[in-house]
Amino acid sequence: MAAHASLTFNQAVRGVAEFIEVAIHTILYVRQVYPAELFVRRRKYDTPVFQSRHPALNEYIAGAVRAITDELALGTLDKVVMVIKTADEKPLERFIFAVRNTLEVESFNKDTSVEGAISVVSLGQYFRSFLVKLNMIEAQLGQMYLDDLSFAILIELQDDKAPTATNGKDPPPWIPANSQQTTSGAAENAELHMVRAVDTGIINLALAVQESEQKLNLNKELEQKGKGKAV
Amino acid sequence: MPRLTQESSHSSDYFDDDPEFLKAIAEIQLPAIADEPELLSSAEPPRAQRPKPLEDEPPRTQKRLRSPEDDFEDDDGAHYHNVLNAVDANDDESLNSYTYGASRFGEFGEYMTRKRAKLQIQNAELEDDEDVQGGEAAPKSRIFQGLQIYINGWTEPSVQDLRKMIVQHGGIFHPYLDKKSLVTHIITCSLTPAKIREFKHMKVVRPEWLVKSIDAGTLLPWQEYIFRPGERVEDTQGRKVAQKSLSSTFVSQAPRANLSKPVPERPDTPMQVDEADLDPAAQHVAGLSKPPVYTIVSPPRTPKKQTVLSPLKSGPTTPSRHLYITDPSTPEEADRIPGYAALKSNPHAERAMADPAWRAAHTSVAPDFIEGYYKNSRLHHLSTWKAELKNLVAEAQERAENGGVDAWQKMASEIGAGAEGEASASASQTAVNRIVQENLGGRGLGSGDVSMRGAKLVKRAPGNAKGKGKEKEKAADEERVIMHCDFDSFFVSAGLIDRPHLRGKPVVVCHSQGGTGGGSSTSEIASASYEARKFGIKGGMSLQQARKLCPTVLTIPYEFQRYKQFSLQFYTILMAHADDLQAVSVDEALIDVTSSVARIRTELAERLESSDDPSDPAKDFAESIRAQVKKVTGCEVSIGIAHNIMLSRLASRRAKPAGSYHLRAEDVAEFLAPLDIDDLHGFGYSARQKAAEKLGTTNLGELTKKSKATLCDSLGKGSGETLYKALRGVDERQLESDKPRKSVSCDINYGIRFKNNEQAETFVYQMAEEVSRRLKSIDMRGRSLTLKILVRDPSAPVEAPKFLGHGVCEAYNKQTPLIAPGGRATSDEKVIGEHAWRLLKSFNFDPKELRGIGIQIQKLEKASGPQETELGQAVLPFKRVEADMVAPPRIDVQPPSQEDDIEIIEKPVPADPVDLPSFSQVDMSVFDALPEDLRKELEAEFSKRRSVTPQAGPAPKEPSPVPEAGPSKKLLVRGVNVKRITQQLAPRNRPLVSPSKNLFAKRVYASSVNVTERELRKYGIDPEVFAALPREVQREQLAAHRTPGVTLYTGPGERKVLKPTAYRGKRSSKSPGFVFRPPPAPKAVFVERPTLKQQGKEKGEKLCFSETEDVQGVIEAWVEAFRESAPNARDVEYFAKFLVQSVDGARASDAGVERAVAVVKWWLVLLRRYFGAWEHEQQQQQPGERPGRITSEYVGRAWWRAFKEVKEKMDVAARKKFGGCLSLK
Repeated sequence: MAAHASLTFNQAVRGVAEFIEVAIHTILYVRQVYPAELFVRRRKYDTPVFQSRHPALNEYIAGAVRAITDELALGTLDKVVMVIKTADEKPLERFIFAVRNTLEVESFNKDTSVEGAISVVSLGQYFRSFLVKLNMIEAQLGQMYLDDLSFAILIELQDDKAPTATNGKDPPPWIPANSQQTTSGAAENAELHMVRAVDTGIINLALAVQESEQKLNLNKELEQKGKGKAV
Repeated sequence: MPRLTQESSHSSDYFDDDPEFLKAIAEIQLPAIADEPELLSSAEPPRAQRPKPLEDEPPRTQKRLRSPEDDFEDDDGAHYHNVLNAVDANDDESLNSYTYGASRFGEFGEYMTRKRAKLQIQNAELEDDEDVQGGEAAPKSRIFQGLQIYINGWTEPSVQDLRKMIVQHGGIFHPYLDKKSLVTHIITCSLTPAKIREFKHMKVVRPEWLVKSIDAGTLLPWQEYIFRPGERVEDTQGRKVAQKSLSSTFVSQAPRANLSKPVPERPDTPMQVDEADLDPAAQHVAGLSKPPVYTIVSPPRTPKKQTVLSPLKSGPTTPSRHLYITDPSTPEEADRIPGYAALKSNPHAERAMADPAWRAAHTSVAPDFIEGYYKNSRLHHLSTWKAELKNLVAEAQERAENGGVDAWQKMASEIGAGAEGEASASASQTAVNRIVQENLGGRGLGSGDVSMRGAKLVKRAPGNAKGKGKEKEKAADEERVIMHCDFDSFFVSAGLIDRPHLRGKPVVVCHSQGGTGGGSSTSEIASASYEARKFGIKGGMSLQQARKLCPTVLTIPYEFQRYKQFSLQFYTILMAHADDLQAVSVDEALIDVTSSVARIRTELAERLESSDDPSDPAKDFAESIRAQVKKVTGCEVSIGIAHNIMLSRLASRRAKPAGSYHLRAEDVAEFLAPLDIDDLHGFGYSARQKAAEKLGTTNLGELTKKSKATLCDSLGKGSGETLYKALRGVDERQLESDKPRKSVSCDINYGIRFKNNEQAETFVYQMAEEVSRRLKSIDMRGRSLTLKILVRDPSAPVEAPKFLGHGVCEAYNKQTPLIAPGGRATSDEKVIGEHAWRLLKSFNFDPKELRGIGIQIQKLEKASGPQETELGQAVLPFKRVEADMVAPPRIDVQPPSQEDDIEIIEKPVPADPVDLPSFSQVDMSVFDALPEDLRKELEAEFSKRRSVTPQAGPAPKEPSPVPEAGPSKKLLVRGVNVKRITQQLAPRNRPLVSPSKNLFAKRVYASSVNVTERELRKYGIDPEVFAALPREVQREQLAAHRTPGVTLYTGPGERKVLKPTAYRGKRSSKSPGFVFRPPPAPKAVFVERPTLKQQGKEKGEKLCFSETEDVQGVIEAWVEAFRESAPNARDVEYFAKFLVQSVDGARASDAGVERAVAVVKWWLVLLRRYFGAWEHEQQQQQPGERPGRITSEYVGRAWWRAFKEVKEKMDVAARKKFGGCLSLK
């Protein structure tokens, strides 16, 4: 399939899911959730990215992304959120992959080029710009001082929808999320940084980072401590 | 469904259901053609405007209404042909290698394509072989050119032979039916019920067509070889509607088809064509002597048809007859009514309908509408009475036998006395009186047999048969005496009984009374007195019309009770005299009085009076009957006497008013000569039209000279034959004393005015209740439901000329199996209602346009049948035996208990819907593998079949209670009737177990392909037609239209169709047969970006900014412009609106958030640049307050305030989606 042809539905779904996986690895590295030694540098979307080498971690991420892919194909997905949280489950940063399926495609047309959608090549370029900005997110978010961080992957579906995609006999792999870590649980003064957004014409994707109230408070405390120390 | 206009296409469903509709269409088309006489005379096919097909494209032989659907078919055909041509040419190496190359992995779709191509190559070789064998001298026959034939199932001759025939004569043989639109005909000898349904819109033909065509050396009209599955005995029992309608479709289009006959455009033929046109007869001759070239390609029509090139349905030769009805439903009918303005709206109705209260109370919306409708509908009374006549007759019978003894005796003696009083009474009259007395007395002449037994209607006196051997049978037939007894203007004369003062005046019976309605009443006249008839008033006219003819006409109301009472009396009298009686209607009956008349003759002979007495005993007898009826009811009856039904009806016409007429066999020719064809019973307007068109005369005297074949040709086989015989005074019909009921229906076409679907639905359910009630009243259940719908014709006014009538309408019919839970026949109102409503809904008519609804239940069964017990289990609808019988009227004479006997006889025959193959054809290995009991059964059956001869078989039980009259006849029916068995065994066209799925089959497709109606319209596809297409074809069509670059009308030269397309690999498994076109590409959907609109530099020019940089530029310009003064609130509002819209997840995509954030950030940068000092200052001044001097502080604060307001709004909007607030870091 020519790279310049516009995306098919399945390509869009796979592309977005793949990007989410890459982005999760990158975020883990950039936000120093795990030690930097754990990561290996690779090239993806013509840009350097860091990938975890830990098989269990990779397995977890891959599994989560697979489940995300299924939901994505159904078109009921609203957001995929990767929450970086403290050991006591307090969300610090929420990396929000907002997706929106703008198009419903009949099953027989899933592999047909969608007229007017962006091409495979330009989607890759968009993802590259996502990652470049993501790599520099520290400029906006500041450094992570805390140790003992953890993360979780959440999905938020459109109103009134439940995760339905199943593999074989297994029930959908999702469990209800800790409400603190969800969008509705976000405090009013949580700060949202828009990283990048792309409209493919099939699935629109945006990446934003939200600093939670807890983190902002922590930072303030730290600042005051720092000031205190300095004084 | 949106109304179908003449341009729009029609789903093929409607073709068959509705010949009238088709006729209407055909006629709509015709005037356009008539406008261009040159076109006609040059016999130019109307299709000429279409792009000419290539020479090698076979001309289409089947003329159908042009519709987009057909266009597709054509193009498919052409398309396919191109493929075939390519194969024929055999010069395209790449193609061949493609065809014979190996299939690549995953390209399953190629398999069928290649297989088809290979088979066509084989066919081509077959053809070539023939060429070689035949040598150069044998010209290739092309009689099947243009035919694309599929052969289904076992045929005689075999498929191989047929294939050879087809191919050798220029046709195309299709081994697979995966593309129905390609195939023009299906050849078969038998079809399964499922296939009958599947093919019901296709041309299914018997193989003889091909064979005979080859024999004849020309393509015979396929209509004569239509395959009719399992020829049913009873038409109502699932007669092949589709097949019938195929031919009717054809017939109704015949004139048009003639016009569009493809005349080859060769320079050397016009002479011939001109010649033919100058003289139609010459053309006929020419057509026979030197067949013009086109007979090869078009099915030759009967020469008669060809001579009628006149496009006008009636033409100047036959002035159309006046028709007197008040509410015609077709434009043709309307045309025939003098003074009827079909297109004129009824002003009263319009006014009345404008009043919602009136509307609610008087139209179909009214809750008691149906009840009221039936209370007042004359036709309803007549029809229900007819249904009740059976009971009525039985009642009359009883009275004639029992109660009559004293009452009738009295009358008889009176008559006798009266007769004796007349000194001048002729001998025959005396004899008549004698017999009448005997009849009324309930005693036959010395034969005890005549005394009544059971509920029999037949009382054939044995004396009649005495002395008449078989050789005399014909003579006996001549001696049959049939009387047609008919009241003279029944309603009027019955009404006049109470109103002697009106006698002798022009009186009519109608709903409208006295002054009401006045001069403009559209009330229909049911009956008019003879005085009124003198003015030209006829039944069926509207009162308005009648008033025009005779302003003094008087009206009297209906008196249904009285009519009923008279009717009963009338029948009682007839019953007393008749050997056999057929109740025609309440006021009309046919009686067989042969025996009575014979007895009168014997009486006469006994009296030894002069045999040359000129008087006619039959006539005297009739007069006597008339006198009796007159005496009892006070009304006049006219009686026509003849030796058969047809003639007696004619005679009664002569007898009127108040008389009798004996039409003797020897006078028949003379009597008929001056009459017109539609004077004959059973021949109406259409027959008259046909006769006028094709035979040039409608006069019976003229028609007598025509040969039987000519008559059959022009009128159709059945009526042609009937007419031929009737003209010679022969009518073999028997009196039908007890016709089994075939359908029960409820039609309402008056006052149907709905506003919405709910009202229509309620009404349909009410009608269903009515139907159900009727079914239950005759203890029947039905298996099939037909819904008849009248919809206002688009050209007709909203309010019909007849007050609340239906006006000119388009009629639609739809039939569905009526299935109660468990697959039983039903009379349940709910089930009927549901089915009917579903059908109505499937039409998708605008409820406001509905003008008439009819629900008819067919395939009736006795409700108290054995099915009752097997609740919950689907019952295979094996036909009950009594339904199978050809129902010679005698059969019904048997007491009901006889039915059981018949059934017992039938039992040993396995009621298998599939006939057994002959024993030699049975695969013995399979046979041996069968379970033993099954095998035994089969063996028994086979051995039985070997031994069975048509008349032999298990000895039937002797029907003991049957009188000796004609027992041999009955025996014949009761013996094992092999023909009937085979009919029963033949595949039936009724669904077997789960016919309900057919219910939904039609509309299911609508949603299968995702496309809007608007898009379809854009492509010029009628959504209705589209919805009816199979899913594959839908996609194909859509793909063709949607894919840019691929045009639907692929030129003939292109051969790339077989090449694999880029898409095929992925899709082939989905639709192997449809690899030619890529599927429709879905369209990307982008969320519309919010834009910042600005007045351009030039007037009227609008600038829309959506890109980040542009908006930033605008903001910058704004901030720059207001550095010295506070920002204008409206400007703030203007930017705020854009920004909020951008971050709102519901209105813009997340890219909008990105842009908005970038814009706001830039704004922030600008503000910081100019007013940085005041960013974190606390608000000290109230916003509304204006300082005396505009300071930079004031300006700065105002800017920051505006910024924060906007930011606040954006946060609120963004929070909905992401929570929190936007960071501008």
